Amino acid sequence: MSPLLQLSGVRYRYPGAERDALTDVSLSVAARQFHAVLGPNGSGKTTLVRIALGALTPFVGRADVDGRTASTWPRQELARLVGVVPQREDNLFPQRVRETVLLGRYPHLSLWGRERAEDHDAVDRALAACDAQHLADRWLWTLSGGEYQRVRVARALAQEPKLLVLDEPGMSLDLKHEMGLFELVLGLVETQGLGALMITHDLNLAARFADSLLLLDAGRPVAFGAPGDVLTQQTVETVFSWPVAMQTVDGRPQMIPLRQPKESRA
Amino acid sequence: MRWTLLVVVAVLALIAGVVLGPAAVPLSELLRSDIVWNLRAPRALLAFLVGGSLGVAGAGLQALVRNPLADPFLLGLSGGAGLGAVVAIALHLPGPWALPIAAFVGALAALGLVYRLGLIGGASLDPRILLLGGVAIGAFAAAITTAIVSLADAAELRNAFLWLWGGLSGASWDSVLLVALYAPIPLAVLLAASRPLDLLALGEESAGYLGADVEAVKRRVYLAASLLTAAAVAVSGVIGFVGLVVPHISRLVWGHRHRSLLPAAFVGGGALLAFADTLARTVVAPRELPVGVVTALIGVPVFALLLRRWTIA
Amino acid sequence: MPRRFLFAVLILAACRPDGRTAGRPAQRIVSLLPSFTEILFAIGAGDRIVGRTQWCDYPPAALAIPSVGDGMPPNIEAVAARKPDLVVLYNSGPNVTAAKQLERIGIHAVLLDLNRLEDLGPAARALGRLTGLEQRAESLATVLDSLPRQPPPTSRPSTTLAFIVWDNPPIIIGHGSYLDQLAAQAGARNVFGDIAAPSAQVSLETIVARDPQWIAVLADSAAPPAPPAFAKRREWRAVRAVRDGHFLLLPGSLFGRPGPRSGEAIRRLRALLAGNEMGAQHAAPLHEAPRR
Repeated sequence: MSPLLQLSGVRYRYPGAERDALTDVSLSVAARQFHAVLGPNGSGKTTLVRIALGALTPFVGRADVDGRTASTWPRQELARLVGVVPQREDNLFPQRVRETVLLGRYPHLSLWGRERAEDHDAVDRALAACDAQHLADRWLWTLSGGEYQRVRVARALAQEPKLLVLDEPGMSLDLKHEMGLFELVLGLVETQGLGALMITHDLNLAARFADSLLLLDAGRPVAFGAPGDVLTQQTVETVFSWPVAMQTVDGRPQMIPLRQPKESRA
Repeated sequence: MRWTLLVVVAVLALIAGVVLGPAAVPLSELLRSDIVWNLRAPRALLAFLVGGSLGVAGAGLQALVRNPLADPFLLGLSGGAGLGAVVAIALHLPGPWALPIAAFVGALAALGLVYRLGLIGGASLDPRILLLGGVAIGAFAAAITTAIVSLADAAELRNAFLWLWGGLSGASWDSVLLVALYAPIPLAVLLAASRPLDLLALGEESAGYLGADVEAVKRRVYLAASLLTAAAVAVSGVIGFVGLVVPHISRLVWGHRHRSLLPAAFVGGGALLAFADTLARTVVAPRELPVGVVTALIGVPVFALLLRRWTIA
Repeated sequence: MPRRFLFAVLILAACRPDGRTAGRPAQRIVSLLPSFTEILFAIGAGDRIVGRTQWCDYPPAALAIPSVGDGMPPNIEAVAARKPDLVVLYNSGPNVTAAKQLERIGIHAVLLDLNRLEDLGPAARALGRLTGLEQRAESLATVLDSLPRQPPPTSRPSTTLAFIVWDNPPIIIGHGSYLDQLAAQAGARNVFGDIAAPSAQVSLETIVARDPQWIAVLADSAAPPAPPAFAKRREWRAVRAVRDGHFLLLPGSLFGRPGPRSGEAIRRLRALLAGNEMGAQHAAPLHEAPRR
């Protein structure tokens, strides 16, 4: 099965930066696969998303979507294939949920054409898949963080993509909503056959839900593969500069951060 | 239903512009009257076209700079136009069209400078810099204008400021034709950008991921909105508040989808200005108020109301 | 001896806000209004003027006097550099400030009204007192006083006109301006005489509706006589007088301000109007546009 997304040996540096944002990074995401990218702050995770989607062009290496160079994809066509939930959204004008999810149909609409029945159906399906139908007529500003995040995922789903890319979607979500989000993504991968690429801070949830992990440190790939192979105590302690203990839950590694020893506590 | 209402209001505004005026023209003579055909009719139409252009330009600009308080005259165009007009008068440029042409050229020069400033961070047009640059260039042009007026000989230069205050006195079938031929192109460009503008409300990054060609959209919207505003200033001076307030009122009724917002802003802006011009001509008859004063007097209370609503929301 | 006593009494009697004297007649005068310059020359004080505005161009001898700028607002330093003992200014808001500034540096400044024909006589008298040339000023003032009181010629009070000062937006002259008085004295009626202000913005359609027979514009004397630029604009052709080319091009230096030559201005205007009553063809008199 050809990968939906493929990065090979990618290297990138922001203009005026002292070091590379990414060095020799490779990644491959196919349908029915849930990949997570992990790493401390500044390890290049968001840069990776931008490169993967053609917003930035790598100095070395390739970034391909569905076999074609990412930066050569016409924006509208790409949006029919890849649904992105970026880290930040700054919605300027007040909207209802249904209207904002409808924006996800724009990649499918012609310049002058109106929204068709199939577009509204797609919106309904997306809302249903995200368990957000009951929110359809609510104003965005009345939603909780978790609800709003679901709505954003619904919008990405309304694009009817083959690949879902989420950048730190769990930030500022409480436990229940963050778990719900991961369950949602895994569910979509399994039932709708999407590919999913998620950037996240949460090692434990990534380990529980994702098929494979890519661990970055200062732009370099440290480890890639199944969670059990990537998240070893040695690796985690080195990359995150913090002592941890490892446990296994549901066959997946879970990390427990340790407190600092008495002598070195401030 | 609301569209019908809007069209009715617009038609009423046009009719008022033709029927009402400081010169008493009895209804029975309306169709034969020279005043009605050669003065009021083109003037009402021009008011409609200019008001509509400003309304659409304002809506597009507010979406572009992601600031609902943006007005087309923040782009520095009015300063450039004023400078052009004053230079034309100071140099005694000949011909009845010298002033509007010079004002248009001045506005374009300001447009070019602000655009260049907007690109200063690189190839991507930065809307915040467009706003700041517009204010700066506008102030700069205004300063040079004042310097010329204070140094030059012609006392008529002081009257140039009256022109700048905004007025549709120069309306004729010639100017209506000119605007009617010119405006549709930038208007069409803005209308075609309706969907990308909806997406832009989410932020440039999100808009890109939803399929908008963000850089192209920004350029096109900025240029189209500026060209509309430049023509408006050249033909009728600076008429404030229409471009600021009309998009907001339209949003209250039609929402944020630019596909319906832009046409509503056009008809609404046109109706507002036609109505304001009729007031300007009749309220202190036989004298006439500058129409910019009337739009400000109407616009400021409306704006205050909107501000309240905005901060509550 | 009695004459000097009379002189002192006159001076004391003449101590009014607009004619306050500093004691002895002024010898170095800066005039900041062309009309005051003209009056000073007319009463024989022309040789005492040491500074004028750049607009003071009559009589020709005035051009030899150094200019202190355009006077709007007055350049205090330039004025002071002429070392005047008297500065005469037109009474306006900015000039009140300028007068105070001059007084603060010890220069006697006098503000005089000069808005309508009625102000000419008092202005002449005030200048006469300030220069000690009361007798000559008095005879001039008597003539000037009579200007607004002359009965207008009975022939054709129905000739109508409008003064257009600016075209976009249209600015006309109203009753408050002395130009309105000139028109009345010349036997014409200003169609905008019902507007009390000296000038006002009106709609073009009002001008069309009031249908003045003549459009009067102030023209630059140096330029060749030609209809104003706005005559070519389509919307202005709705005005009958514009279509017919009935323009009165009035030289700015003569008509632009009330002054000693206002009588001449009235006569000229009367002649222009009368000349046209008579006739079909224009002999293209000096300041009139040819019929289109």
